Amino acid sequence: MYLCDVLQHPIVASSHSPLTMAVDQGASSKLPGLLVSLGKNESTKTLLKVIILAIIAAAAVASRLFSVILDPWFNFRATKYLVANGFYQFWDWFDDRTWHPLGRVTGGTLYPGLMVTSGVIYHLLRFLTVPVDIRNICVLLAPAFSGLTAYAAYLLTNEMTTSSSAGLLAAAFMGITPGYISRSVAGSYDNEAIAIFLLVFTFFLWIKALKLGSMLWGALCALFYGYMVASWGGYAFITCLVPLHVFVLICMGRFSMRLYVAYTTWYALGTLASMQIPFVGFLPVRTSEHMPALGIFGFIQLVAFLEYVRSAVSSRQFQTFMYVGLGGIFSVGLLGLVGLTAGGYIAPWSGRFYSLWDTGYAKIHIPIIASVSEHQPTAWPAFFFDLNMLIWLFPAGVYMCFQKLEDEHVFIIVYALFGSYFAGVMVRLMLTLTPVVCVAAAIAASQLLDTYLQYKSPEPIESKDEESSDVTAKKASKQSSLRSASQPVVGIYNVLSKAFIAGTMTLFLLIFVQHCTWVTSNAYSSPSVVLASRMPDGSQHIIDDYREAYQWLRQNTKEDAKIMSWWDYGYQIGGMADRPTLVDNNTWNNTHIATVGKAMSSREEVAYPIMRQHEVDYVLVVFGGLLGYSGDDINKFLWMVRIAEGIWPDEVKERDFFTPRGEYKVDADASETMKNSLMYKMSYHNYASLFPPGQAQDRVRGVRLPDQSPILNSLEEAYTSENWIIRIYKVKDLDNVGRDHAAAASFERGHKKKKAIKKRGPRVLRAE
Amino acid sequence: MRRQTHFLRSSVLGALSNVYTTSSGTRLRRAAREEIQYPPNFYLFFLFLFYPEYHTQLRSRSIDERSFRCSFTMKFTAAVAACLSLLSTAYADSRVDTSSSKVVLPSTFKPPQNFRNANLVHIISLEKNYVKESINVLIENISEEPQDEYFLPFTSEQMEKVGGFEVKDRKNSEVVGFDIDAVEYDSLRKVEPSALFCYRPGEASTNVRHGSDTQFYRIKLPAPLASGSQQILGISFYYLNVLKALPASIDQTDKQYLVHTFSAYCPSAYSTLKQKTEVKLPSSEAPEYTKIAGNEETKEFPVKQGSKLTYGPFPEVSAGASSLVKVRYEFNKPVTHVSQLERDIEVSHWGGNVAFEERYTLFHHGANLSSQFSRVKWAQSQYISPQTFALKEMKFVLGAGSKDAYFTDVIGNVSTSRFRTSKREAVLELKPRYPIFGGWKYPFTVGWNADSNNYLKKSGDKFLLNIPLIEGPKQAEGVEYEHVDVRVILPEGAENIEFHTSVPGSSITEHSVDIVRTYLDTVGRTVLTIKARNLVDELRDRELIVSYEYSTVAALRKPFVIFSSTMAVFVGTWLLSKLDKYRNGTRNPEAFDVKQGPDK
Repeated sequence: MYLCDVLQHPIVASSHSPLTMAVDQGASSKLPGLLVSLGKNESTKTLLKVIILAIIAAAAVASRLFSVILDPWFNFRATKYLVANGFYQFWDWFDDRTWHPLGRVTGGTLYPGLMVTSGVIYHLLRFLTVPVDIRNICVLLAPAFSGLTAYAAYLLTNEMTTSSSAGLLAAAFMGITPGYISRSVAGSYDNEAIAIFLLVFTFFLWIKALKLGSMLWGALCALFYGYMVASWGGYAFITCLVPLHVFVLICMGRFSMRLYVAYTTWYALGTLASMQIPFVGFLPVRTSEHMPALGIFGFIQLVAFLEYVRSAVSSRQFQTFMYVGLGGIFSVGLLGLVGLTAGGYIAPWSGRFYSLWDTGYAKIHIPIIASVSEHQPTAWPAFFFDLNMLIWLFPAGVYMCFQKLEDEHVFIIVYALFGSYFAGVMVRLMLTLTPVVCVAAAIAASQLLDTYLQYKSPEPIESKDEESSDVTAKKASKQSSLRSASQPVVGIYNVLSKAFIAGTMTLFLLIFVQHCTWVTSNAYSSPSVVLASRMPDGSQHIIDDYREAYQWLRQNTKEDAKIMSWWDYGYQIGGMADRPTLVDNNTWNNTHIATVGKAMSSREEVAYPIMRQHEVDYVLVVFGGLLGYSGDDINKFLWMVRIAEGIWPDEVKERDFFTPRGEYKVDADASETMKNSLMYKMSYHNYASLFPPGQAQDRVRGVRLPDQSPILNSLEEAYTSENWIIRIYKVKDLDNVGRDHAAAASFERGHKKKKAIKKRGPRVLRAE
Repeated sequence: MRRQTHFLRSSVLGALSNVYTTSSGTRLRRAAREEIQYPPNFYLFFLFLFYPEYHTQLRSRSIDERSFRCSFTMKFTAAVAACLSLLSTAYADSRVDTSSSKVVLPSTFKPPQNFRNANLVHIISLEKNYVKESINVLIENISEEPQDEYFLPFTSEQMEKVGGFEVKDRKNSEVVGFDIDAVEYDSLRKVEPSALFCYRPGEASTNVRHGSDTQFYRIKLPAPLASGSQQILGISFYYLNVLKALPASIDQTDKQYLVHTFSAYCPSAYSTLKQKTEVKLPSSEAPEYTKIAGNEETKEFPVKQGSKLTYGPFPEVSAGASSLVKVRYEFNKPVTHVSQLERDIEVSHWGGNVAFEERYTLFHHGANLSSQFSRVKWAQSQYISPQTFALKEMKFVLGAGSKDAYFTDVIGNVSTSRFRTSKREAVLELKPRYPIFGGWKYPFTVGWNADSNNYLKKSGDKFLLNIPLIEGPKQAEGVEYEHVDVRVILPEGAENIEFHTSVPGSSITEHSVDIVRTYLDTVGRTVLTIKARNLVDELRDRELIVSYEYSTVAALRKPFVIFSSTMAVFVGTWLLSKLDKYRNGTRNPEAFDVKQGPDK
């Protein structure tokens, strides 16, 4: 509840500020109190704004501190490597502890922006003799940048409207909206942690550059675009959105030198900057995702050239010139593009990109993408969950943009359409939609508040016009030229309706804050590594099996023991257990992942050679049956089967894992293939002995299990965590006397080798 | 000439270190320096005259030296020793290591037979997971002159494992001031390790040969013992890391048995008229122990009474005699071994706080698991019989008023800890992430804060900080510490550091005063580092008293620096804003608009 109070402050404060400004604009200030006298002159206003923004930033940081667990351990590991070995070593880092036995050219296959940012902050603080641990920087980077994102949202919104309350509202929305918090809680040390700030700030700089037609701002925009490219693969969003904006503007007949200067500066410098990142390299000129930007760059040159020709020749000549020239060049360009793509010089759309257009594509062709929960299409309640009231203010805000329709408003409209589509396709891309929702919603909300919080009843339009004329004279004239009818005198005269609307709006804002707090604490602050539950007496009980097992691996196995597990746990094992893994969350090699999938889904006799070939020492599985933890490997198992089937359709078949009636079962009715698969055996090995006879139960699947646990021959249980969530098996070495594992294990259990003896012929007395 | 400057620097540093220390080590160092009174050139002259290999020897020696300062002094003393031993091999010279209280003797040394042990009781306590030995001995001066040096022999292997060596007068507890030094042979000349207790001065003197493995603890009596008179010494020390599990690997539900090997005759450099050895076991469960022939009263030794084994009494035994015996006994408790403990104590005068942080590297040195760990068996055995040799829990008893305790490891916070405070004490109960079996490792960190009023006193212009040297877990089965590094981080500007500890001086191997810069420091904080080895949890209440001077000016330095730098930032910003206004005022505001380019 403390946090709720903190969160309410900015809202209350920012909803006061339009009040003060509204009063300020009025001729006489009747409102009593300090606020009025404070808001009078320009510098006090600035001070107030600074204070409000600071409070918003503080609230944004505070709301992200519910629980702190460092999440993508790979990034943390990479940062530690960077800090320890310096930048150039990091650049050339070949990591032999992942993707065993392939290894990973880490320096060339990651976006270094996040790590470099942390490293710079670390060295800066060290320079100031603040002995901060790099871990703490990594943990707090995302909340710190969320404060900056709020400020960037303020700047961007200020470019859209003259009402400064809109900017403050946008900052507040941006600071606490769950759609953004989901990726930026403390400890969430992912690329998105800084990328969203860079996204919003780059857009702000783009708008600034476009409005001023300034090369300086264009270059700044390119600089931050370069930073963005260095930080997140989502930079393609900017690469596509900015050219689209330009294209729409040109189609609207709004080509100007401002646009030309801004875009060409941005494109030339930004592309050069992006090519400095080894992971990106020549992609900006070789892949289809980047072609719109290049195409628009060419197109804008043509348009500029045409503009020049039009100013030089007569209109009739110009028309023929345009038809012939433009048509010719366009068709040549298109043909060139098609030709280069066919010739293999330009990569066609990648699979991940196709899945953005066809949501069913990934499930059929690239199961590995579809197996990630955040790549699923968004369910509609998610919009309300992540954005709450902003989602219905958002269209209103976009409508307001249509009313004004300057160049920058076109940007918001384009962004809104584009972002909405992608957010609908993939849950993860809700993140890119959130900024525009905040901006648009803030425009709408501030319009409402500005109108209804006017203390004085509106005066005739002349006096108002006079006041605003000196500020926005040019814009006003432009607006009047654009719109046929001038605005009638509109205003709210009734105090009751004013109070009603303002009260309702405040109520909504308060509910929004409450919702954000609730969502953040309940949904987005439960790290995947630690599960919290309640004891019967109400005290919190933490189930910490993951870290228990990882610590065990780290301390009690040899340092180069290779761990095989499903790729979800690769980064965690690499970071927390500090052991080499076969596959990890950087899913760049589908075949290698499929190999692990095949080992998991095959019989022991098939899996054992695969594990030997990959020098596997331990196999780690996640099993939630005892605790009722649903995110376990048996529930993910079908994805392993599907991915393996994609490579070895003859050896692994999804159908074999279902019962004849087509059910996915793990109890006595499970199919033979299922029962013999390594994953099934490892999950349920020795599990039944924990229960009295006939009581063995799987609490996730809610089924009763057979009393006889599956028998493992080629693996032995090495460690099982307290609640059985993590089970670690040691791969047995080859048998000393050359038996196969099944025979050796059966001998150990005391069974005689019946069949083999029977097959032998009658005993013959040796004559020697 | 360079060597001479080394000497000068070393003597200057040595003089400084005299100011810093009050421990017994210093006295030794002073004594050593008093021996070396000749001007350095004198030695160098002789050195190059008689000992041309001097350079190479120096180089090879200095590799071993850890401390920068000590290496200077060492080089010089090494030179002196080499020179002296050439001049007169008969003279038993002694060299003193500056950082540890070790005396290095030539291998020709043997303790003069000045004493006789009239009666000796040797008690070996195996109740904890380390060995506590106490030797109560009635010594008698049998020489003509008063004597004050009593020697106790150890093998070099034992020497590494002995800790907490203390001597008391059993009769009169007011007699204090026993000086204890570990006496070692020149390690360069040690050639081969030889058998246990090979040192037998009673036999031919050729037995004391080069490469002999026997080393000594030298006990300097506070007052020389007159000829023919007697004194009762109570000598106590610990052996760490000597208990071995037998069988070395057992099943998770089996009981753990340990083996200890020792001599039934107490090792001594002097002949002993009458002695007995008592072994105290944790329980009466001792399936195997060596039996030796008895005397006329009892048929064979040992006599077993409950959990106590008694070897002896034995008649006169010559110096250096030994009779190895083994005891195998049940010890179904963890053998907790901390190979490294780093303990930081940070004193803040402004915060009124003393912050503690301890980083443990903990091992279980007991029996390994014969098969892999089974969770089912573990859960069942926890239910049926909770007694196990695995380490499940640790209990830290902290000073009253301790707060903000934390328990982390390399992955992060460990959620299985409880911190309970009451008026009398604060208890931190830890559960490691997993039960620790033999051969397993579990490094972790604990920390807490405490009110500085409980630890810090002001006397005159000096501050006195009184803290335990080690705290550590309080376990019934005991904990042993191989290396302990204690860092006392004093406030920025603290000076004239002196310290005193009631932990036996022979356990302190090194100490130094350095500067560390943290948290916006300008000149850096004074850090006192004390390194100790072979401590056990029985010494956990021994105190460490650090005294230092801390002036008001030093206390005000940081607030002033922060205030002035913040002011500088504000003034700078203000000046910049003035500049901005000046620029805006002079330039044509329309000029900027021109840059906007043609608008449609």
